[in-house]
Amino acid sequence: MMTQLLEQPTKLSTAIGINVDRADARDKLAGSAEYTGDLHPPSMLFGAVLRSQYAHAEIESVDTSGAEAMDGVIAVLTGDDLMDLDPYYGHALRDRPIIAMGKVRFVGEPVAVVAAKSQAIAEAALSAIDVSYRVLPIAATLDRALAPGAPLVHEGPVRPGLAHGLGKLPEREGNICYRYGFSVGDMEAVFSRAAVVVDGEYVFPAVYQYSMETHTTVAHHRGREITIWSSCQHPFLVRQEISELFEVPLDDVRVIVPYLGGGFGSKSYTKMEPLAVAISRKAGLPVRIMNRVDESMVTTRRHNMKCRMRTAASAEGQLLGRVVEMWLDTGAYADNGPRVTATAGDAGPGPYRWEAVDVKAQCVYTNTSPAGSYRAFGATHLQWIGESQVDEVARRLGLDRVEIRRANLLARGGQVRPGAKGLDADLVGDVEEVAAALDWSAPRPSNRGVGLSVGLLAAGAHPVSMATVRLGADGGVTVLVGTTELGQGARTVMGQIAAEVLGLPPSRIVVRGTDTSYTPYDRSTGASRSTTVAGKAVEEAAAQVLEELIETAETTLGVARDELVVSEGRISGGGTAVTYEELIERRFGLKGGELIGQGHVGPRGGSGGFADGPVFWEVCVGGAEVEVEPETGVVTVLRISTVADVGRAINPLLVRRQDEGAVLQGIGNALFEEMRFSDEGLLLNDTLLDYRIPSFEDLPASMSCTIVENQDGPGPFGAKGCGEGAFAAMPAAIVNALADAGVQMTELPLTPERVWKKIQSQQGISKNHSTEEVDQ
Amino acid sequence: MKLPPFEVHRPSSLHNASRLLRDMGSEAVPINGGTELLLAMKLGLAQYAHLVDLKRIPELRGVRRVGSGLAVGAGMTHRELESSRSIAEAVAEMPRMLAEIANVRVRSVGTIGGNLCFADPHSDPATFLSAIEATLVLGDGSTSRRVPVDEFFLGAYETKLEPGELLVEVTVPAVPTGTGAAHVRMKVHERPTVTVAAKVMVERDTIVRARLVVGSVCGTPVLPQAIDKLIGAPRAAWSERVREVAALSAAAVAPVADAEGSSRYKQALVEVFVRRALDAALSNAQGMTR
Repeated sequence: MMTQLLEQPTKLSTAIGINVDRADARDKLAGSAEYTGDLHPPSMLFGAVLRSQYAHAEIESVDTSGAEAMDGVIAVLTGDDLMDLDPYYGHALRDRPIIAMGKVRFVGEPVAVVAAKSQAIAEAALSAIDVSYRVLPIAATLDRALAPGAPLVHEGPVRPGLAHGLGKLPEREGNICYRYGFSVGDMEAVFSRAAVVVDGEYVFPAVYQYSMETHTTVAHHRGREITIWSSCQHPFLVRQEISELFEVPLDDVRVIVPYLGGGFGSKSYTKMEPLAVAISRKAGLPVRIMNRVDESMVTTRRHNMKCRMRTAASAEGQLLGRVVEMWLDTGAYADNGPRVTATAGDAGPGPYRWEAVDVKAQCVYTNTSPAGSYRAFGATHLQWIGESQVDEVARRLGLDRVEIRRANLLARGGQVRPGAKGLDADLVGDVEEVAAALDWSAPRPSNRGVGLSVGLLAAGAHPVSMATVRLGADGGVTVLVGTTELGQGARTVMGQIAAEVLGLPPSRIVVRGTDTSYTPYDRSTGASRSTTVAGKAVEEAAAQVLEELIETAETTLGVARDELVVSEGRISGGGTAVTYEELIERRFGLKGGELIGQGHVGPRGGSGGFADGPVFWEVCVGGAEVEVEPETGVVTVLRISTVADVGRAINPLLVRRQDEGAVLQGIGNALFEEMRFSDEGLLLNDTLLDYRIPSFEDLPASMSCTIVENQDGPGPFGAKGCGEGAFAAMPAAIVNALADAGVQMTELPLTPERVWKKIQSQQGISKNHSTEEVDQ
Repeated sequence: MKLPPFEVHRPSSLHNASRLLRDMGSEAVPINGGTELLLAMKLGLAQYAHLVDLKRIPELRGVRRVGSGLAVGAGMTHRELESSRSIAEAVAEMPRMLAEIANVRVRSVGTIGGNLCFADPHSDPATFLSAIEATLVLGDGSTSRRVPVDEFFLGAYETKLEPGELLVEVTVPAVPTGTGAAHVRMKVHERPTVTVAAKVMVERDTIVRARLVVGSVCGTPVLPQAIDKLIGAPRAAWSERVREVAALSAAAVAPVADAEGSSRYKQALVEVFVRRALDAALSNAQGMTR
């Protein structure tokens, strides 16, 4: 249908490629935008969660009688209340109980929930609950979890989750949660003829995906129906998981998503919803659970990781082979760990033409809080490592670092990984843009350096999205699409896409939040997929409506379709113009009725572009100029350049804002963000005083974002997603810039003390250390 | 991490505040901006059933001229002082020091007196006011006494305040022409990792007085003895002597290791920041802008 429509000589409007004002700006600035925490259904109770203070312990008993006797306490939930259910969930692996079932596996794991008439009563009641623990040996670090004879975080069979997508599951093996890997080429041969081998071990920190709104859920389990209002990114996956857990048909679970105050992956999949539903089931009334920041910090986090990588290159600077092994700490439960691990594995080689590649990625359980998605996961973990080794190869061979990339980067169509879609971007062009924006070859003082990095992120997740577009009798349009507005501007962009197709100003389009009872299915909001996948569904749905308008116009005007012109809410031909309102009235014979279009995107069928995975390769490219103060180790990011390779920018300003936000988070991840756990698994910096998030004072003096529009994306109008690539690029660019300034770091974040110690140790050893490691 | 319940008292005179605090003993604590106290209570590090709010006490407000110096009410917020013209005129470095405290929201609520009385080891005002020889007026509405800032702190979170006694006023001497003050600091998280303040008096190209305070690395601000090596130094020897003082000061302090850094790293920072503070103070003494 689309191709047929595009042949129409219709003159479409110009709703895309322009900086349409955000649809949500007015409400949010005026404070009238509603978030889950603003909602208060009648008789709502307030929940408070009693959390384990031990990282690994058996629960001998829980005495809730004191709490239950308190005035205003309506219900207290413990594991004993869930004996009639199979209470384990997890979209990847079904390994997590709704609430501790006889055992706790991390500090902060929910052990009991109180529902009371006020938040204060609920909080007070927590101290009236007596829990008796039998403490077990703890494996709170990767090294301890991987050591022979380590305490086991999980025992018993491995169970797949409803969206595991991980192929055949292996038998349980120590604390290994998941393995991923691939191997191509004859590695031994490649290394035997290498002129340069760079070999290193690297450490990446646990990081909190801070968002201003903490995880908040209101749930009402009433009879056989469950209604949930939640700050969730993936409402349809939550619905499915709740349906299975509580043995309620899909249709009887309703998930409503108001605005989200940021997500960044922390609100992907299922988080606090099962707990809220479980306590509501017991209380018989709606219950709200609203995390504090310290609670959200132990709800989900980014995986810390250790990694060993070796890169081999010829004397001429040809990249020959790479061996990489990594261990990602997923904490006590898998959450999205397997997917993060696979994506990290995919990012291991980097986008180069290798003769041999060997990737081994392990996801490891430990007795720490669970780790899941965070913007540009996997790619951020690996890109700084791989790209620092490419830089080191160039340094040892005396090559320019842009030149070595130009010579080795994959070309369009090149194989990124066996069995995956070929490269759909111009990486060399992107790298050159970044270098030019940084004045790459300009002379600099010795304590300044520039660095850039390039990588790829498999984007789009599973490409299943539906959308409905309704054109009402007054010519206004409502778009129903399951994309969650979490601050990225999704509702604005979806409106622009519908406006463009229908030849209407974007102000005539309203995009609603998700209510799974009415909004058509959308797989998820993440993996930079919304504009590309859900946007495509909106485009198709709008095109169906337009097709009906054109059919009606043909008969109304008595003019053939190839002589019709669509513009600004009217269709003209043969010297006459009719408005959409008039066409609807003509079609239905009254001032009423509506035209409804449906869009469907799936891996097969109507949308050929989505047949191969991934939906598209998101380009992760960026550069930085930094200055280091040798006597304190303080690193200052002076300048940043990014390239948003988006195919087509539906809203260029939103594209820039995405890159800027990703840059700032990338700077935080690179320079100072780090969750510190004690050996007993206790999170030591669980306040925003001690865990520093990036703020405006961390913005570099200069930031440039170049938007590249090659119209090579599978989304509407040649668009592809954005907003994650710059994150992955930043730590890598900063690490490389710092190495250019003389300090080679192998552990993040680049805290002043860590950098200072490295400078001290470099000053203490002979200057030619970098040549010692050269093979042959 | 939830604020426990408490009762708030709002006396309107120093005398009443003092009486309330004395009567309720260890159950009660004075509060002004609450930027440190409420946080400590949220974290469960401090527990008080009664908070005595000092915001309605007129004696704690205002900035008065006293001779060439100033008497600053202990209840003045950092932000008020940061934008006070009389403070900028009397002690040019002080607004710059204040402007670096935490963030503008904290500065708009937190007070100079609250900062000093809480005695958090990581404090910009404690370091700076010690260096410029400020004096504290402590009182209870009937009697009062004066204590130099550097004698006020007994340890981390511990001061010389007696039960029922309040910090009323900070007496800030002017920094005259020919004398330079400077405050330098570094932070990794919200609170400073290291703070160093210095005051030097120069006459005919010779240093005649010098005072140095190293803060935020030990339980209380430290005054390294090595600063005496600057006295009598002619201009030609400044650079070398400053480096010597910096090295000796670093060797003399025993920093406490915490989330801001190891003892060894902080020691290295002390050397760097002592040098910077003295260079800046000397530069200020000469009327040079830094």
